[in-house]
Amino acid sequence: MTKEALAKAMAELEEEQVIELVKGLLGGGTAPLEIVKALQDGMVEVGNRFETGDYFLSELVMAGEIMKGAMDILEPHLSGEGAEHKGTIVIGTVKGDIHDLGKNIVVMLLKGAGYNVVDLGVDVPKEKFVEAVKNTGASLVGMSVLLTSCQGALKDTIEALRAEGLNSKVVIGGNYINETVKKHVGADYFAITASDGLKAAAEVFGG
Amino acid sequence: MNEKEKLYQERFKRYTTALDCGKPDKVPVVLPLGEWVVKYTDTTLQEAYYYVNKATEIIAGVVGDLDFDAMFGALNLWWPPMHEALGCKQYRFPGFYFEANEGFQYNEEEYMTADDYDDFIANPTKWLTEKYLPRINEEFAEPGSYRASVALVKGAAAFAMHNANNAAAGQKLAQECGIVPAISGMTKAPFDTLGDALRGTKGILLDLRRRPDKVLAACEAIVPHNVAYGMITSAGDTSLPCFAPLHKGAYPFLRRDHWEKFYWPTWKAVIENLWATGKRTLFYAEGDWTPYLDKIAELPDKSIVFCIDLTDAKKAKEFLGGRFCLYGGVPTTMLTYGTPQEVKDCVKQAIDELGSDGGFVLTAGGVAMSDAKRENIVAMLEAAREYGVY
Repeated sequence: MTKEALAKAMAELEEEQVIELVKGLLGGGTAPLEIVKALQDGMVEVGNRFETGDYFLSELVMAGEIMKGAMDILEPHLSGEGAEHKGTIVIGTVKGDIHDLGKNIVVMLLKGAGYNVVDLGVDVPKEKFVEAVKNTGASLVGMSVLLTSCQGALKDTIEALRAEGLNSKVVIGGNYINETVKKHVGADYFAITASDGLKAAAEVFGG
Repeated sequence: MNEKEKLYQERFKRYTTALDCGKPDKVPVVLPLGEWVVKYTDTTLQEAYYYVNKATEIIAGVVGDLDFDAMFGALNLWWPPMHEALGCKQYRFPGFYFEANEGFQYNEEEYMTADDYDDFIANPTKWLTEKYLPRINEEFAEPGSYRASVALVKGAAAFAMHNANNAAAGQKLAQECGIVPAISGMTKAPFDTLGDALRGTKGILLDLRRRPDKVLAACEAIVPHNVAYGMITSAGDTSLPCFAPLHKGAYPFLRRDHWEKFYWPTWKAVIENLWATGKRTLFYAEGDWTPYLDKIAELPDKSIVFCIDLTDAKKAKEFLGGRFCLYGGVPTTMLTYGTPQEVKDCVKQAIDELGSDGGFVLTAGGVAMSDAKRENIVAMLEAAREYGVY
């Protein structure tokens, strides 16, 4: 019963085994943060496998669910422990669009990679993005969109951030996003898959 | 036969010849109708959704003078008053939840729980009537109550009214503008029925690992329903293809082995059953279906019309060309962000690559939404006529 075994079980999506190992490690006195770290290592491997085409969306959704189950067990033990993170990212699905599958996968992988993610949910008005960036000082803002007809909201939100003098980098994400959309709305990065989103975060926060 | 009827017959023949893999006089071109037409009027989307007659006037005004063969899509896919009579939780329409000029959206939830599988599999219709309808419609919360009964009558009346309005609108467009509908009827892949409307995307993707046998059994139970639904909604017509919007079979939802096991067998069964009655399916493959083309090629010749959105066009031609009509060629993002010249170039390339020997219909690869530009759609239709003469 080791942290390596936990990371491996997470990467292999062995749900029951992950839960058993988390409970076992906790009972054996391993620090909760170290357990989280092992889960994150497994999650990074999940992301890698998606990148190489071995894992598909259904595997990412399953990984998120397993992670959630493990964190439900760990969270009561984590209070008071100052978790270090690589940086803060504000993320949300833009106004007019209520799709959250893609956003939730990116959130899961970013958390797994050690970022502090502030998730604003779906149908998020530009004012809410502005407020969240002001409050958190996030260096990166993620804006998710599925509907091409809501791509105008990307532009409005980015303009609202800039009008407030906020210079956080912006990554836009969605299946129908490309270089043309990125230029049109004035974003810094665009992401078609969750791993593209991770790459943008790595560039902004230096890995 | 008056001039418009003659035009209708000519276009119908051109379109259906291509669907049957033949080579008509020109490449047929389909107008992608959508919320974009409203943008060029002083009407809001909300008004267009609620007043069907107004919507028909708008459509006739925008498309009346354009030269194309068939029209796909609808301005108002659903008539909100029917859903409102039932207190429907699944759809959000412009003007209430959204601003008056934003399109409708579907509110996905796990309307069916994992515990419902056995009852659903045993008798899907019974389960849908007794369990599902009360869950998705607030007014049906207490089945058999006064409130639920009134809502049922109102909803059924609204459904009949909307169908009658739609039929009248279609007839008006056919008679006054010579417009052929691109499709008749609608169906879905059983996996999508289960994933979109019942278990939800997350629910069904988790079920693949947690209860795979239930997913398979539920999809099998849905097959006869989706065959019947296709025939009922097309009122028995077999001259035009049955529309099948496909979702979770697109790359990268499912791993290839999962796709072959969970998505394909029951969807193939629906297509084959419809084809046995002479009904062809418009395989509306939005997104990218490149990794599965070899399996799709196993279908009976001409049983589908394959829609190309982000699927690799050359590979689609290689795997499916000649045996199945190919449909599409212009990405929806091109209609939004492209210039008329770019659209023209794209049309030329699509006709060269996909349409040189017939069996090809030129149109948008997906649903054109409110952001599509009219000048680009006009450029697409004009370029199709310019480059599409055999």
